[in-house]
Amino acid sequence: MVPGQLLSDNGKRSGPGTYTLDGKVYAAQAGIPRVVDGVIRVIPVSGRYRPERGDNVIGIVTDIKPNLIEVDLGGEITAVLRLPERETPPLKLTLGDVIMAEVKSSGLRGVFLDPEGLQKIKSGILITINAAKVPRLIGRKGSMIQLLKKETGCDFWVGRNGLVVVSGRTASSEFAAISAINLIEREAHSQGLTERVVQLLKSLKGDEESG
Amino acid sequence: MKRVVKLIDENGRRVDGRRPDELRPIRMEAGVLEKSDGSAYIEVGGTRIYAAVFGPREVHPKHLELPDRAVINCRYHMASFSVDERKPLGMTRREIELSKVLREALESVVFVEEFPRMMIDVFVEVIQADGGTRTAGITAASLALADAGIPMADLVAATAVGKVDGIIVLDINEIEDKYGQADMPVAMAPRLGSIVLLQLNGMMTVEEISAGLEMAENAIKTIQQSQIDALRKRYRVEAGGEEL
Amino acid sequence: MTYSAIGERGFAVKITRNRIYELLRQGKRIDGRDPLSFRPITVKTGVVEKADGSAIVSLGSTKILTGIKVEVGTPYPDRPNEGVFTVNAELLPLAYKTFEAGPPDERAVELSRVVDRCIRESHAIDLESLVLIRGEKVYMLYIDCYVLDYDGNYFDAAVLSAVAALATGAIPKYRVVDGRIEKIEGERMPIPLRTVPISVTMGLIKDVLLVDPIPVEESVLDTSIIVGYTSDSTVAAVQKNTPGLMPASLLRQALETGKLKSQQLREKLLGCLGDAVKK
Repeated sequence: MVPGQLLSDNGKRSGPGTYTLDGKVYAAQAGIPRVVDGVIRVIPVSGRYRPERGDNVIGIVTDIKPNLIEVDLGGEITAVLRLPERETPPLKLTLGDVIMAEVKSSGLRGVFLDPEGLQKIKSGILITINAAKVPRLIGRKGSMIQLLKKETGCDFWVGRNGLVVVSGRTASSEFAAISAINLIEREAHSQGLTERVVQLLKSLKGDEESG
Repeated sequence: MKRVVKLIDENGRRVDGRRPDELRPIRMEAGVLEKSDGSAYIEVGGTRIYAAVFGPREVHPKHLELPDRAVINCRYHMASFSVDERKPLGMTRREIELSKVLREALESVVFVEEFPRMMIDVFVEVIQADGGTRTAGITAASLALADAGIPMADLVAATAVGKVDGIIVLDINEIEDKYGQADMPVAMAPRLGSIVLLQLNGMMTVEEISAGLEMAENAIKTIQQSQIDALRKRYRVEAGGEEL
Repeated sequence: MTYSAIGERGFAVKITRNRIYELLRQGKRIDGRDPLSFRPITVKTGVVEKADGSAIVSLGSTKILTGIKVEVGTPYPDRPNEGVFTVNAELLPLAYKTFEAGPPDERAVELSRVVDRCIRESHAIDLESLVLIRGEKVYMLYIDCYVLDYDGNYFDAAVLSAVAALATGAIPKYRVVDGRIEKIEGERMPIPLRTVPISVTMGLIKDVLLVDPIPVEESVLDTSIIVGYTSDSTVAAVQKNTPGLMPASLLRQALETGKLKSQQLREKLLGCLGDAVKK
């Protein structure tokens, strides 16, 4: 679907990524159409991350003020972590730390993260991918990310906002994981992607053994 | 330097051999730059343009933000070596005017209410000019907006109609622009049947303008198909899968 | 996909910085390169026919377009027997989220001046053969570099694209007729180049030198330096372009490393240009 393309002229309701005109529903973004319970929506193939309540996101601590901490979520979004009034904060955070947290609220006043359940990520490499590709990186019921875990032995933290941390025991395993993520991001919408990812990881393992 | 140029020959052919209603060869590609949220490259004859989109993002300076909608910022700029006589650095008055009309055209279709207090930056960089730079520019900008996932009512496409030796012609090149009698750039949201950019430089009768608009509208539908093809190619799904 | 970094020369993302240090101890970089490897380079010339010379260079994802325009003008008063050239670089807002529209900022000005220095101090262009009437009329070359896409190291990419445009350019030819300057229609000539200047940007992390840094490395570097070399490996330009301490004892090593890399880059560039080189 491309913007302006007709999606439905027989009574479906307009969902995200669409608009109505004269009783018909049209696409507003480039993407794949989906109908759920009579609501037609377009899953966009690109676009910046828009924070929503309940999303698990990864961010970088960029400012520390008396009662609040600013967290960069990428895409030029700065979220706020409001610390409870108690003297001992749950985690000691410093500038440049990487955290994973849940979005408590997102609206005109800003994006707020929940200090409850917040994790500080201790080691690894932080990368950014297009937020629209995150579902593909995770895979149906987590299948793709499980595959990467199994084949590379790395740990992964995947933020809905497109920030991802890869942490492995060897440089080559991390490099393999990042190469695979790069491939998934580039070819998110094509068939046979899983097979190509497996091939890539096999060939990188092979290089390492012979190299 | 005065130049006597015959713009239409005895066979009704133009200086580059085209018939009056013929477009120049067009080539478009989406997603050509990596660091922007969306981008596109276009060639229309000798005109070559890059367009890139950033956003929605925070507004700088803050006092420009609007409480109920996004601000669109558009910059049309030509490289110094894009024209025959080197263009000095900095923005000329022409570039400032074109930045405004391009911005207003895109504002007509972008759903700005979805992003209050945010900004969408659109950059159009002409690296070679051969007539029709604002129309090719807006075609590329629209493709870049779609590539960036910015919600819009339609893809905007554009072309410039001209009058040379009394004949209404489509997609004027630089020579026709310089030595012709009139030039009329038109941008439309073809699926809405609406005009989003219209200017006229020179003299045309009301009938000539109507005829020119009709010619432009048909061409714009063709140009829009190229934009759709470019998007589909960029987000290509292998055979058997779903198409964009 | 990019390796996330924080702003420009701000503090680094801690875990990534730690990883970069660990990897360097093993002689590796975060993107799999060796410390002394450049990213893949592609060069396309003659991309803008209206320009008198043009080239697009991609260094990894960094992409720079240079165009050259020639006019006739007056020489500098203290150099009546030389043609004139100027270099101007712009960090287009297209290229990166923090590049803003407007007059060139200090980064763009620095880039212009460093590229200029590499070309000027190496006497790369034979300016004496670009004179029409001594003291009055000379060829003027405008070399304009536009950064289209930024993924680290615009210096080396800009020098490569400027040199590629110069080496493959074909400029209008003028002659003097009865004291007036006349363009010779239909004739073009190459730009007289004496040497092929190449720059090498090197960053320092702890005591490891690495070339061609990407933005995430730039946010972690102790400091960096750009060195421009001529074809016979004489140094024509040096710019320490970031704050930080550069141990004097490491400078010699940097200059030698840069020399070797510049020779390799020059070979690569000339290989890419092949027959397009006019001379």
